[in-house]
Amino acid sequence: MSTRPLVEYESVDKYFGETHVLKEVDLAVEEQEVVVVVGPSGSGKSTLLRCANRLEEIQGGEIRIAGDLISGPDANVNRLRQQVGMVFQSFNLFPHMTATENVAVGPRKVKGVPESEATKRADDLLGRVGLGDQTASYPAELSGGQQQRVAIARALAMDPKVMLFDEVTSALDPELVGEVLGVMKDLATEGMTMLTVTHEMGFAREVGDRIVLMSDGEVVEQGAPESFFESPETERGERFLERLL
Amino acid sequence: MSETQYGRGDESPSSPFLNDQRLKIIGIAASGLFTLAVVGFLGVILYTQVNPDRFVNIIHPQFIDAFFVVLRIVAISSVLSVTGGMLVGLGRISETLPTRGIAKGYIEFFRGTPLLFQLIVIYSGIPAFWPPGQFPIANFSVPAAIIGLTLNHSAYIGEAIRGGVEAVPDGQMEAARSLGMSYAQAMREVVLPQAWRNALAAIGNDQVILVKDTSLLSVLAVPEIISTVQNINSATFDIWTPILWAAILYLAITIPLGKFVRYLEARADPTGGPR
Ligand SMILES: Nc1ncnc2c1ncn2[C@@H]1O[C@H](COP(=O)(O)OP(=O)(O)OP(=O)(O)O)[C@@H](O)[C@H]1O
Ligand SMILES: [Mg+2]
Repeated sequence: MSTRPLVEYESVDKYFGETHVLKEVDLAVEEQEVVVVVGPSGSGKSTLLRCANRLEEIQGGEIRIAGDLISGPDANVNRLRQQVGMVFQSFNLFPHMTATENVAVGPRKVKGVPESEATKRADDLLGRVGLGDQTASYPAELSGGQQQRVAIARALAMDPKVMLFDEVTSALDPELVGEVLGVMKDLATEGMTMLTVTHEMGFAREVGDRIVLMSDGEVVEQGAPESFFESPETERGERFLERLL
Repeated sequence: MSETQYGRGDESPSSPFLNDQRLKIIGIAASGLFTLAVVGFLGVILYTQVNPDRFVNIIHPQFIDAFFVVLRIVAISSVLSVTGGMLVGLGRISETLPTRGIAKGYIEFFRGTPLLFQLIVIYSGIPAFWPPGQFPIANFSVPAAIIGLTLNHSAYIGEAIRGGVEAVPDGQMEAARSLGMSYAQAMREVVLPQAWRNALAAIGNDQVILVKDTSLLSVLAVPEIISTVQNINSATFDIWTPILWAAILYLAITIPLGKFVRYLEARADPTGGPR
């Protein structure tokens, strides 16, 4: 039996006004797969991710989450978003809530989980990302790396089927990048399906199952990390790798 | 490590140390002189203008009554205008155009015309719809005052709340919606608590102004503090004795109110402010 991909982009077109930002993009993320999207600035990587949980509307094509259409007018967006965990470059933690409250608020308000149960689960998740001793801290009291790990726990608390990571280490001081990438690597090892945008090529190579190169709103190349980094198939792939050196 | 490297040796060659010292001394001298002048002026007034017996005699019932009339009007208008302001503010940021338009028009009108004008429109304008003498509310002064203050201050608080909401980064709404929250849930749980905190200072200032705006209510024949001053003045030809009471009573409301607002602000900031 062939299971459907967890995320499917089918001929997706996205415009910002006149600008054509995603051009007939086709992409599928299989269950337990870690897909790493790379590409130059402005190529549409963030937009690609934001369309997957409908933070952006698309103008053509379809996007499905576990087979359910999220892009259509009848889509139950609030339900489908629960299956898609999103982690942002700028953390976007809720500053008026403690770490525990940040993680527990989704299950409590969206799924109706009782407070005591949600709190316990939140503290467990915080322990999993190495923050078991910071549960009562407010975001302003945490380092960037700690905040981003809370944000990952917050997304995990909804038991998503797939996690989206949009340059989640770009806003961090270099010495804090490792702790966040470590958590992501653990997640990948545990079998989480991930669609990740990153400039961390070491991570892409080590953890990624597939690299997707975007350029000017198009997926120009995709393949296994080894083949992509050793011998890109396209000229744009070569140029992208050259600029990294 | 790098901090010690950059932090040291920062005393610039042309150190403004001497000038700073001199400015400080001038500042202290000036404020001392000013304080002396104010205290002297108040002393002269107290000694020459204030009648101690009358000062005691007019406490009760005149000023006590006026004080509680003002307090009651302030308390009711305060609750109503914060509630109303919440609605106006939410209307102002609504995603439906007509709602937004109505809220905008409301704010423009009540901030664009004087409060005194609005009070007169309500106090004299509304009863004019009834035949002379038929208006059902016997003593319309206080209700008209509450309606006027509420409508007026709802506009200002609405603007404060709109500003508070707009100061919340878009990423907050996006993060909340990404968890699967509805727009209403995201507003309630994430955006509004932060907006409220952002708007608190402005709302607090507005409530202090509301207290002071009650001085206009003498025009509606509300027996408040200013009309009490005027009554006593015309009966006794003494102005400074009632003025002293008026000052004491206004400050007795506005100073604790200001403290209360700062307390709310501190409490609303869970991390205890910038560290
Ligand atoms: N809200 C918006 N309104 C208008 N144009 C936008 C908006 N967001 C993105 N764009 C444009 O869409 C294009 C793709 O942007 P996107 O943020 O997806 O790129 P990116 O690949 O994530 O870049 P980066 O590596 O800098 O994050 C860019 O040309 C950008 O200017
Ligand atoms: Mg981006």
